[in-house]
Amino acid sequence: MRYLLSSVLLVLFVSCASYPKKNGFTASVRQPIQNPYFSDASKDYVYKANIVAFGNSFSGIFIVKKLGEDHHRIAFTTEMGNKIFDFTFQGEDFKVNHILKKMDKKILINVLKNDFRVLVKENPSMEKTFQKDSNSIYETKIGNKKYYHFLSKEKLNKVVRVGNGKEKVEFTFSEINDNIALHIQILHKNIELKISLKSI
Amino acid sequence: MKRNEFVIPMKTGIRLMFLLLFLGVTILCAQTKMSTPEAAALKATVKALSDQTETITADFVQYKRLDFLSDDIKSEGKLAFKSPSMVKWEYVKPFAYSVLFKNETLFINDNGNKSDMDMGSNKIFKQLNQLITASIKGDMFDASEFEVSYFKKDGNSEVHFNPKDKQFAEFIKSFHITFNTKGEVQEVKMIEPSDDYTQIVFSNRTTNQPLSDAVFAQ
Repeated sequence: MRYLLSSVLLVLFVSCASYPKKNGFTASVRQPIQNPYFSDASKDYVYKANIVAFGNSFSGIFIVKKLGEDHHRIAFTTEMGNKIFDFTFQGEDFKVNHILKKMDKKILINVLKNDFRVLVKENPSMEKTFQKDSNSIYETKIGNKKYYHFLSKEKLNKVVRVGNGKEKVEFTFSEINDNIALHIQILHKNIELKISLKSI
Repeated sequence: MKRNEFVIPMKTGIRLMFLLLFLGVTILCAQTKMSTPEAAALKATVKALSDQTETITADFVQYKRLDFLSDDIKSEGKLAFKSPSMVKWEYVKPFAYSVLFKNETLFINDNGNKSDMDMGSNKIFKQLNQLITASIKGDMFDASEFEVSYFKKDGNSEVHFNPKDKQFAEFIKSFHITFNTKGEVQEVKMIEPSDDYTQIVFSNRTTNQPLSDAVFAQ
């Protein structure tokens, strides 16, 4: 009864055509959501990365390690191992352990921070849930930004950051095997930035 | 495609390659400092070796150590060098990626995606050229760009090169190069300011075997 009530309320609440509703989803009961792709502290997650940014193209090795509850380290190195950047995400805190002087720019670090936080955030706070066939969309909040997490058959396959009803950044998780996304892509729609990660 | 932001670490690697290509030799247990005559003997052998080296091929295994990881990140590949200055550094496992240094240009092949970078007007490239020349002449160890110290370790020699250049030192605090008793480079360790490091161990080294230019085709 309580669930029914809350879904009715939800439907009323989201009545002014939100992003999922525009895509044919209807509001449904809230479910907890989990992003499992960097959740195993015993694993070293290592990806070959290709980045296209503002007319430049480069590659390297992208490394994620879970160090504890809501605590991750993310580093990027060249193929030869030279460290480009190294960040710590712990709860709401973010720390730059290392970044090349040439890249040490607040605006760039903020973009990377917002993107990578989405990758490692295991239980984002949920605002609303929508359902269509075996697909679900969760409206979530990470940092102070609004996201939609897309699950197909209960597997997270896409996250979208939306601003003013438009997609700003799209994260796709594919070739999923045993809670590891072998391929991850982060695609910015409003700036020229694409990060492709392939598990190695 | 242009490659701006990441030029320097790449070059650091290239620079290291040249560094290790021309070095050779000597001796004993645990790490003890070499005497001045011992260090001089090592340098002399290096000069003799570099004078007669036309080509080098070798396999390598690279271990990347990051203090927060459970295991080192391991990759494998092949190295080819042809005098005076063609070098191909090629990763084959677990990804395909190669860097070719030829005619003042750096050619990158990232799993079929090719790009290049002209280094003719670049300051670091000029320094690199000097380093190559110095290496070929055999006076690498006297290069003004490094603080050099010599050690004997487990029957081998270990030479530490600490970059003096601040821009360079942002990436690498020290290179440690180990030579076996035959005077061949056995391994190289690039240590970062944070003490994380990359260790490259060589095997199956051949020298002065004919190497076709096709090996160095971009």
